[in-house]
Amino acid sequence: MQRFRVGVASVVVLLTAVAAAAQTSSVSGKVTNKEGAVVANATVSLVPPPSAMASMPGMRPGATDISVQSGADGTFQFDKIPAGQFILQVDAPGQSRSSQQITVPTTQALAISLEPLEVPGAEASPTAAGAAAAAPTVDALLERIRTLEQRLTEFESTTVLSEPETRVKRIEIWVDKDGNQYDHQVAGSKREVTYERERAYRRQTINEKIEQALSDEKDRNVGIGVDATTVTQFAGRTTGDQALANKNAYALASADLFFTAKLAQHTIFFADVVALSGSPPDRQIPTLTLLNGYTARLVNQNELNLREAWLRTEFFGQRLALVAGRLDLTNYFDHNAAANDETTQFLADALVNNPTLGLSSNGTGFATVFDPKNGFNFKFGIQQSNPDADNLSDSIYSLAEAGYVARPPGLGEGNYRVWYRWDNSAESRANAVGISLDQRLFPRLTVFARVGSAEVLDGHDRFYSAGVQIQNGLVFNPLDSWGIGYAQINPFSGRNEKLFEGYYNFRLTERLRLSFNLERVLDSAEGDQPKFGYFLPGVRLQASF
Amino acid sequence: MLKAGRFVVITGAILGLVAAAASYTLSAADIKLADPASVVMIVNRDSNDISFMDIKTHKMVGKVFLGNNVNPHMVMMSPDGRYVVTGGTRANKAFIIDAKTLQLVKVINVDIAPEHLSFSPDSRWYYQGNPEGDSISVIDMVSLTKIKTIPGFAEPLNVTFSSDGSKAYVGNYGAHWVGVIDVRRHELMKKIQVAEVPGVSKLDPAKYLGEIKGINIAAPTNDGRFLYAADGDLGVVGVIDPREDKVIKVIRVGKNPWRIYMSHDGKYAITPNNGDETISIIDLQANKVAATLEAGPDMTGVNFAAGKAFVISSTSGFVYMYDMNTLRPAGRIKIGTNVQLETATTDTKDEKLYLAESTTNSVVIIDGKTGQFEKVANVGLFPWGTHIMDSKDNYCH
Repeated sequence: MQRFRVGVASVVVLLTAVAAAAQTSSVSGKVTNKEGAVVANATVSLVPPPSAMASMPGMRPGATDISVQSGADGTFQFDKIPAGQFILQVDAPGQSRSSQQITVPTTQALAISLEPLEVPGAEASPTAAGAAAAAPTVDALLERIRTLEQRLTEFESTTVLSEPETRVKRIEIWVDKDGNQYDHQVAGSKREVTYERERAYRRQTINEKIEQALSDEKDRNVGIGVDATTVTQFAGRTTGDQALANKNAYALASADLFFTAKLAQHTIFFADVVALSGSPPDRQIPTLTLLNGYTARLVNQNELNLREAWLRTEFFGQRLALVAGRLDLTNYFDHNAAANDETTQFLADALVNNPTLGLSSNGTGFATVFDPKNGFNFKFGIQQSNPDADNLSDSIYSLAEAGYVARPPGLGEGNYRVWYRWDNSAESRANAVGISLDQRLFPRLTVFARVGSAEVLDGHDRFYSAGVQIQNGLVFNPLDSWGIGYAQINPFSGRNEKLFEGYYNFRLTERLRLSFNLERVLDSAEGDQPKFGYFLPGVRLQASF
Repeated sequence: MLKAGRFVVITGAILGLVAAAASYTLSAADIKLADPASVVMIVNRDSNDISFMDIKTHKMVGKVFLGNNVNPHMVMMSPDGRYVVTGGTRANKAFIIDAKTLQLVKVINVDIAPEHLSFSPDSRWYYQGNPEGDSISVIDMVSLTKIKTIPGFAEPLNVTFSSDGSKAYVGNYGAHWVGVIDVRRHELMKKIQVAEVPGVSKLDPAKYLGEIKGINIAAPTNDGRFLYAADGDLGVVGVIDPREDKVIKVIRVGKNPWRIYMSHDGKYAITPNNGDETISIIDLQANKVAATLEAGPDMTGVNFAAGKAFVISSTSGFVYMYDMNTLRPAGRIKIGTNVQLETATTDTKDEKLYLAESTTNSVVIIDGKTGQFEKVANVGLFPWGTHIMDSKDNYCH
């Protein structure tokens, strides 16, 4: 029954179709080119529209196409065309195909204007009629000018002078539960971060591009830095037994190799391998603090030692930093802008560190720095103070510090820090407290000071230092700097030591520095130790790259 | 009733045309290609032409020059077999060739660097993707004019139409979303995020900000019920239900999947993972990775024939074969030394592959059953891709 119905329907449809086909009419028109000249022998075709082909699967394309040629006057005519939708196509040599949908029957004659076929890199070959029409008449030239102006306008509106740059940007999007992504918040969506390519029309010089490429490359690689220093000092004894360590020369060579690698965003690895050789004055002159700050690094002659190897990462918008590994905890505490670096500033350890910090060796530990970006900063760190200890809990050296960056009215930037340390490795209590400050009074002048007090058995060791640093002026070369400092340590034992130092640091090149320094140390007697004093002029040559 | 009426009118018009065609015909000399399914189309990047090779005789039956410095990228025949089209990447133009006469009939300006393209199932619309212009050019195949440029994409590569032609899905290689175009209005109406960018990306932004490898294509299953989109950076395949345009599952595959290819029996899909030189075979029924197998470097395509998958390793000169019944490796075919393999198409009988090999300007014809191959030389300069009408493996880089 079902088949019968289908059969009847098919017959009805077919008969209706045949009836529709029986109602025919003609289609006519004229073909011209862009200049208005008639185009003879153009191929004019009537083809079914794409939707008709889709409804007739298996129908070979072109099987139902019908074509005529335009006459010498450019006209064409189709007769006995059934009613319906058709595509009228017109082709002529050197011309683009004209294609349009028409509905038959149509009463109007069709006017077909062909455009030249513009093949890239090839000049259009005008037809004979076109060539005749393109004779250099005023109208043709004006039309040509209009065309060129139009092209120029299009060109100017679609191009830029600089090359467009493709870059990937990090964007915020909103995604609903179905995974649909929006550029703005919609109900039920949650915010996410994604990455998307964009093309930016940004003017960038070739130098900027090269610099950016090198910078990107640098970020991806392991960075290696070298700091090589030779310190030569002479000692002249001014007080005490002239036969001891008098008029001697000393030299110490140090080479540091730094390795840095960016492991992830805001996460770096750092390692410092150091090798030293030579004889510093501290081996012969029994001062309470080191006359050459490099001496603290000298473990064994001509041996490579791993001073530091740590990982630093930052969280919460770089407000919290965590450093862990083998480190020198004093690098993170008791900073001072004018007296903290034996490689470029003062050479004597008393003007680089605060002796009451009381840590002489590097070890395993961690440090955290919280910087809420409001001027204050807070630090806390723990380090193994005794590398020979069997366990960490027996040799915990810990430090805490609070700092503030001040900008007093009329003055430059100043840093004020107070720290507290606790060390359980000593048999007695070993607490200490200290202050470190540096304040820029003028663009050229920075003053600094340190104070410290460390608990010892039945008393306190005390330490003071102060001085000035000059830079940005009163120098031979614009990037030179110099400073004068004074340090005094008063141990509970009664022995006192006073140290003066002045230095001048020539920055010869970006990577090469030459410093001259002069130390004056006076040591008072303690028990049977004789009183002594020295002048120590020195030269420091440093290459850093 | 409306549909029946339209059917009657169309059928009547066609019958009338059949009758009229008896008196009006093109001359035999004008017709160079009687059967559009009888040829392999070869897109030659450097000679700027499209070659037409007869599938049976392997002889060239035609060549259409497109112009100087055009660099055609992908060639495709309209589903109705009337036109062959290609985008000229350096010319920023679309080229329309009459498939019957093999004549270039129209050159249309599109956006910057046109590459991949697609036709609506009814052959009415030709969508040309412009990856450098971040747009899709819409070309009306009735009037042969560009009627619209759809902006808002990020390096759009492949376009796939839904089976009813109402929507088109665009893979954005410069992002992690699939664009959904309303074909009626030719407008981008939705962005479907395939998967979330992992939070850990914040730790390694250089990887994500340096170069983005997003979605090449949202490939439909054979029954058109689902779309599968592989994301290179995320190493996943998102399964999209086109009825609701939502992601229903995310499948983790190997590193840096280039795109996804559907097997002809509809059981499996394969992602060539260039990051770890493997392929992931996805069971489409279970939506799970059924096998991860070793493959070669720089994979540019996957074809299916004679029950096997053929994975093209562009720079190694090898085509890797996998048995799709056992999901095990089935050997590899050495095409040559120091050759660059491009992409391939498979004939409609699923017997032979036609692989473009750009170093020697050849097309390599591989017998899917035996793995034997022959070369057809001098097809054009730098053959870049091949295409056969109605092939299930028509794709481009």
